[in-house]
Amino acid sequence: MKIPLPSIENNHKGYEELIALNKHLEAKLFDDIEINISYWFSANLCAFLGCILDKAARCNGVKVSVQNGKICNILQRNGFLAHFGYEKKTDYYNTTIPYLKLKPKEDRFFNEYVTKELLQKAEFPVVSDKLRRKITESICEIFINAQIHSETDYIYVCGQFFPEKKIINFTIVDRGLGFKKKINDRFSANLNGVQAIKWALENGHSTKQDAPGGIGLAILKEFIKLNRGKVQIISDNGFLQIDSQNETTHILNESFAGAAISMEFRTDDNNSYIISNEINCDEIF
Amino acid sequence: MKKIELRVYQIVGNEVCVSADDGHKVYESIKTFISEKKKIVLSFQNVTMLTSAFLNTAIGQLYGSFSEKDIKLCLSVSNLPELDLVLLKRVVENAKCYYSDPQKMEQTIKEVLD
Repeated sequence: MKIPLPSIENNHKGYEELIALNKHLEAKLFDDIEINISYWFSANLCAFLGCILDKAARCNGVKVSVQNGKICNILQRNGFLAHFGYEKKTDYYNTTIPYLKLKPKEDRFFNEYVTKELLQKAEFPVVSDKLRRKITESICEIFINAQIHSETDYIYVCGQFFPEKKIINFTIVDRGLGFKKKINDRFSANLNGVQAIKWALENGHSTKQDAPGGIGLAILKEFIKLNRGKVQIISDNGFLQIDSQNETTHILNESFAGAAISMEFRTDDNNSYIISNEINCDEIF
Repeated sequence: MKKIELRVYQIVGNEVCVSADDGHKVYESIKTFISEKKKIVLSFQNVTMLTSAFLNTAIGQLYGSFSEKDIKLCLSVSNLPELDLVLLKRVVENAKCYYSDPQKMEQTIKEVLD
C-alpha cells in the first residue's frame, strides 16, 4: 500500500498530517507499506516520522520512497533513509544534524552527539560560547525530561541547520505516556492535552513524587523567548507553540501517545546571557 | 574546621552530569557528610554539562532531608561557571519552595481547571 505524504512543515498542519498518518498506520497489520515523499519535508521531523514508522514496522513491512531529489539528498545525509533501504551519504555541507534512535539511558551518548553537532561544528556562525551552551543545555534538559517522565522504550531525535536563515531546528520525540496521561494519573485530574502541556511548562510544576523538579521545560520556554526562537509541543491531543510574541494552542483531530518537542533556535542572537546580578557562591543555599 | 572537598567528576565518573540517577549518587555522598555535620566543598571541576534534573536530585532533594540552616552551614560549591551557578540557585529556590508546601502541586492543577 502506497501512502503519499503531503508537504510536511514545522507547523500545526504538518503535525496534524503526521498524527493522521500515525492513526492510519495503527490499524495496519501484516501489510506492505510504502511512504511516498514527493513534497517538502522538514528534516528535523524525521524524528517524528521515524517514531511513527518504527512502531508500524513492528508488524508491517515499511519502506520510504522519496521523489523530491533535494529532500532525498538531505534525508540520506542525515541518516534517516538508511533505516529504509537507502544508502547513507556523507554530509559535506555539515548542515544536517543526524537522525538517531536512542534508548532513554543513553544520555551520555546523546550529550556527545549534541556537543559534536552543535558545540563543535565549525560551520556554525560565530555565536558566543554562552549561546551555544544555552542551546545545548535546553536540548539536553528535554532529552532528560523524556528519560525521566515518559517511560518510553526509545527516544528519536533529529535536527537541521539553515546557515542562511541562521536557524537550528531540533526535534525530540518519545512514544511514552505523554503529558496528559502522566499528569492526570498523578493528580487524578482531567486536564485536556493543551491544559496538560501548559501546566507542565510552568516553573516548578512536576509529576515527581516526594522530590522537587519541573525546571527543564520552564528554562526552555524562557530561553526561546529571549532567543526569538520557537518551541512546539505535541502530546496526546494537545498542540502548543510559543515564540517570542505569541502562544498558540490547538486541540488536535487525533491523539499522539507520547510527546514531540520541536525547538527552533536563532544563531544570530546577540544576547550576551551575562547575568546582571552576579551570584555569589556563598549565597546559593 | 577544614572543609572536605567532594569532586562531582569523581563521584559520577564522567564530565557529563545530566541524569537524575547520577545526581542521586552525588546526593548520597553529600548526605553522609551533612548527617555528621561535616563541612564540605562540592567541586564541579572538569564537569562540562549539567541539567536541572541532575541538580534537583544531587542538591535539591537535600532540602527534604536537612534544614536550610544545616545545608547552609555544611555545604558550599566551587568551580561552577556563571550560567551553572544561576541554574543551581534556581534549583535551590525551587526545592525550598517545594518542601515548604508539598501539596502545592495539587492546588496548581485545580487552578488550571478553574
